Amino acid sequence: MNRVYLVILILCLLSCQLHGEERGVSPTIQEVKAKHAERLMAMPGVVLVGIGKNPDGQFVIIVGLDGPRPKTVEQIPEILEGYPVRVEITGPVKAR
Amino acid sequence: MESDLNTIRTVLKENRSELLARSNVVAIGIGYKIIKGAKTPTLSIVCSVSKKFPASSLSARDMVPATVNNIPTDVVETGPIRALQSHTAKYRPAPGGVSIGHRDITAGTLGCLVRKSGQIFILSNNHVLANSNEASPGDPILQPGPYDGGKYPDDHIANLEEFVPILFDEQASDCSLTRGLASLFNGMARIFGSEDRLKAVRTRAAENKVDAAIARPLNDQDVRAEILEIGAIQGLAQGELGMAIKKSGRTTGLTTGEIQQVDVTVNVQYGAGRIARFSDQLLAGAMSQGGDSGSTVLDNGNKLVGLLFAGSDNTTIINRIENVFSGLGLSL
Repeated sequence: MNRVYLVILILCLLSCQLHGEERGVSPTIQEVKAKHAERLMAMPGVVLVGIGKNPDGQFVIIVGLDGPRPKTVEQIPEILEGYPVRVEITGPVKAR
Repeated sequence: MESDLNTIRTVLKENRSELLARSNVVAIGIGYKIIKGAKTPTLSIVCSVSKKFPASSLSARDMVPATVNNIPTDVVETGPIRALQSHTAKYRPAPGGVSIGHRDITAGTLGCLVRKSGQIFILSNNHVLANSNEASPGDPILQPGPYDGGKYPDDHIANLEEFVPILFDEQASDCSLTRGLASLFNGMARIFGSEDRLKAVRTRAAENKVDAAIARPLNDQDVRAEILEIGAIQGLAQGELGMAIKKSGRTTGLTTGEIQQVDVTVNVQYGAGRIARFSDQLLAGAMSQGGDSGSTVLDNGNKLVGLLFAGSDNTTIINRIENVFSGLGLSL
């Protein structure tokens, strides 16, 4: 039963990828961030996802963690649809 | 050198009250004598005066002698010296940047004055003026806030008018059930494609844009359209990456920073395990502490950019002012 789901999942992923390539337009960093924010926010310890710049002026997607989270860091891709991802420890965010 | 300084210290101690007794002298200290604008290597007793007068118009009693026990003196005009402006004191009229709060909270910051339907209102956060959705319109607002000694009715400055409700996340983030549900949703989203994933997002987490509220002053003369240590607001501006910003707040006073992130989606803790998700936020570095909530954030031209409401050890989270104004139907 599980194997059937897995096959369906893989087929869907493939079709989604093809669909994306067919469009042939590279998404903006805002679109990429919006698309992946929910998934990233669901990872343990992720408190924020935003858009920033590297010291060299390149746009990056920034993922903020509540503390050291090696397992979460492993799950976060280094690049999302062409945009680099930077992981930072921001600590928990509280209303002030 | 060291002995010189110690000698002067002794002389200073012996003559301090006598020097301070002269009219216009506001401070006494030790410093290098300045002659015609240039620093000399000679240590002197520096007498700061509120205003320099020509020797001819001063009585002998008020004149600072050229030397004291052979130590040269220097007279410097500093103007009157005032205590640094307190952000936690009671102010009438009250400017932006000072302590304020609903009577059931500790204290936050009065952001600035805004207009709605031709009337003047105080702008701050929902969690400052409306106790995080717990308050009712008409509730008393105190300046300073209760933590800073504000009491009802003596310090009653305004009544809560309106707030944008904060939508709290019902699910605790560290709950394994939540994580399981989230991954199930994500799995389903992958199976059904991107449009359907967006639907799952909408049903799962309520997203906030602002933590904002307004209060109606009991008397328009009790509030001032300026921000302490900043001055008058010069309009509105849109926050952008790399923009230099500043704020004046109850706890850390005037601080500066830079917008380091935009389009920020963030989970914010509101005490006892309550979490609210915010999107379209601005993020700056460490430029605030607890009690600074409600501070308005301005650019270098004193244009209003945002409303500060949250932060971590090394971040400050700011609502975009355009979202605050549209959420409550405000103008400057």
